[in-house]
Amino acid sequence: MQVSPPRSLTELFLGFLSIGARSFGGVMPWAHRVMVEERRWVTPADFTETIGLCQFLPGPNVGNASIVYGKRWFGVIGSLVAFLGLFALPFVWVLTLFAFYADFAATSPLLRAIVTGVGAAGAGMFIGTAIKLGRPIANNPYVLVIIAACFVCVAVLRISLIIVLPVGLGISLLLARRGKL
Amino acid sequence: MILLDIALYFMVLSLFSVGGLPSVMPEMQRYVVEVKHWMSPAEFMQAFAVGQAAPGPNMLITTLVGWQVAGLAGALVALAAMCGPAAVLAWFVVDLWDRFKESPWRRAIQRAIAPVVVAMILSGGVVLATPGSTPDWRLWLIAAASAAGILLTKVNPLWFLAAGGVLGAVLLG
Repeated sequence: MQVSPPRSLTELFLGFLSIGARSFGGVMPWAHRVMVEERRWVTPADFTETIGLCQFLPGPNVGNASIVYGKRWFGVIGSLVAFLGLFALPFVWVLTLFAFYADFAATSPLLRAIVTGVGAAGAGMFIGTAIKLGRPIANNPYVLVIIAACFVCVAVLRISLIIVLPVGLGISLLLARRGKL
Repeated sequence: MILLDIALYFMVLSLFSVGGLPSVMPEMQRYVVEVKHWMSPAEFMQAFAVGQAAPGPNMLITTLVGWQVAGLAGALVALAAMCGPAAVLAWFVVDLWDRFKESPWRRAIQRAIAPVVVAMILSGGVVLATPGSTPDWRLWLIAAASAAGILLTKVNPLWFLAAGGVLGAVLLG
């Protein structure tokens, strides 16, 4: 497949702007559509590998991808431009939506009920995603123990992530190095 | 100085957000609602809902926390703090990552991260679906329905959020 990276910072900015503007219900599918299918900046394999790295790094995955691709094509300026393009419209949009919501929610129990329902559905999306990601690795008892232990610490005992994450990752890494994971 | 508090907290959280926003959701809820009392559990859940329904990276809920606490300055500071350190890390790590393509450490790290991230995302969902101290079966029902939708279909997740809104109006209204 013939790909050609963006030729200017403007093109880079507009590409990421159009990802951010349309990304209802999740950014990654739209990033794929714009970068791979519409603008043909990168190959599908390149996209998958970059997103794989970005998923494992902290931070929003497409946000990280904007940094990685911006750097590859235009250096530091490219990273900044791509990142700002991605976040500019969603930032304005979310604040506007929230301001409207705050105005009406005080007087409308129905609106509060609707938004709480949306929140619960969003929570369910997390649960579904966790099951989807966990299924392929759940045939290993060590994996199940790590998942259960971290879950109890964070969701039940409400211990800070700042403690649970390093400890959990440390134990997990030891097990991985011994070939248990 | 509340802006400094926001900035420092979200900068730390940024480096812990392996797997994105869902992983840090339970921690953010703990800090914002239980430790700092910046928002009530219900307000936090509703800000999360608005953040999910709006387009863009779902990290944007940090914007709403910042907005609630310190207006536009808070919103900008919260978002910059939540994304900045992770972005800088990505900037440096990408070259390193390519260089160690064949290293056994790279594979071990990838394997080690997966179960921890799964646990954090699962915790995020459970904590968000239980905003009060007692579980509400109606919220659990909506969450279970949307989890099933994610697992069994390939439609745009926005439809599940819309269905959640309708169910919310019927069950909670």
